[in-house]
Amino acid sequence: MANYQKNHRQYYFDSDLEKALNRVDFFRIFHTMTLRYGFDHFGILQLGNEGDACTLTNRLALHDLPSGLAEEYDKRHRFGDSIVFKSLHTSSIPSVWKSDDLHLGNGGNLLGQLGFDILMCVPVTGMNGARYAVLFLGDGEMMEQQAHFALCYDAICAFDYFYRLVLSNKAGLGLTPREREILRWISHGKTASEIALIVSVSEHTVNSHTATILKKLDVVNRTQMVAKAIREQIIQ
Amino acid sequence: MTHPVHILLVDDDPAENLIMRGLMKKVSSIEIHLHYCETIDAALDFIKSGTPVAMVLMDNRLQPQCDFRETVPAMRQHGFIGPIGVISSSLADPYFQKFEEYGADFRIDKAELDPTAIEFILREYVTKS
Repeated sequence: MANYQKNHRQYYFDSDLEKALNRVDFFRIFHTMTLRYGFDHFGILQLGNEGDACTLTNRLALHDLPSGLAEEYDKRHRFGDSIVFKSLHTSSIPSVWKSDDLHLGNGGNLLGQLGFDILMCVPVTGMNGARYAVLFLGDGEMMEQQAHFALCYDAICAFDYFYRLVLSNKAGLGLTPREREILRWISHGKTASEIALIVSVSEHTVNSHTATILKKLDVVNRTQMVAKAIREQIIQ
Repeated sequence: MTHPVHILLVDDDPAENLIMRGLMKKVSSIEIHLHYCETIDAALDFIKSGTPVAMVLMDNRLQPQCDFRETVPAMRQHGFIGPIGVISSSLADPYFQKFEEYGADFRIDKAELDPTAIEFILREYVTKS
């Protein structure tokens, strides 16, 4: 991972971000940030492909909303119709929304439908141009300008790390030694739970490595994974 | 999400058991059964007893002098393949960067453990799979 120079002006956040490794670490960082600025919840929303079937549940890459809230929302409303979602596709300026904003109109008032008073959106971009927005939801008062600026900066920094470390496991990247080891055991016909026992990690970790290998090798199942790995001489 | 989730807390301070129990009660979306062991040996026996444990929360330092670098591999050697989270109040120690190499799934600061964090962790590691 690229290290930043001092002139990349990072503030108090950098040590936590430099240490973050997995989704729980980024949950901790965003959750703490949310509470520090007086909000209750955050969500990282994937943007783009507006026309696709668009549900809040599918678009959330990481969030700390109460369990079941996004699913309930999707049962009752169409996320693609919300004014907030539409506006995130017309401008990349950070925005603040109140549930009693008159222009939100009927049927498109995401805030009212979710049951919060205030929403702050920080549009962000992954290094390859993929568009996301970090949302902060709460019932507090409108933020001071200085705090608003600071939260935007923090959200952009944290998202940059989150994207590079977690979201951008792209095809074509090399496998790590641990991923190669798991691939080798898969080629020997071992199941995820057997590999977990052999390698001394949890089954969850084995499955998440397997998902990463599938993505990196650009294949759709374990059989194609092993076939391609042999073809590409990753394993013998 | 209708089935109760069994979580094992391993911590040498019984007060943490009470605090955690209070915290788990505040998680309304999932029914949690919290089990508690004071030592790593008791935890290993508990795992061997066959009680279905969906997740282990392990205090980093356990008396007399071990930390997650010994306790998590011991759990794995005894065949536990569920998720293990390490709880600490000093995540800044450099050796924490290697938690995955020791077979742990995640780490969390004691101060960060609130009902929202517990719901998130259960969603990530237990109810999703």
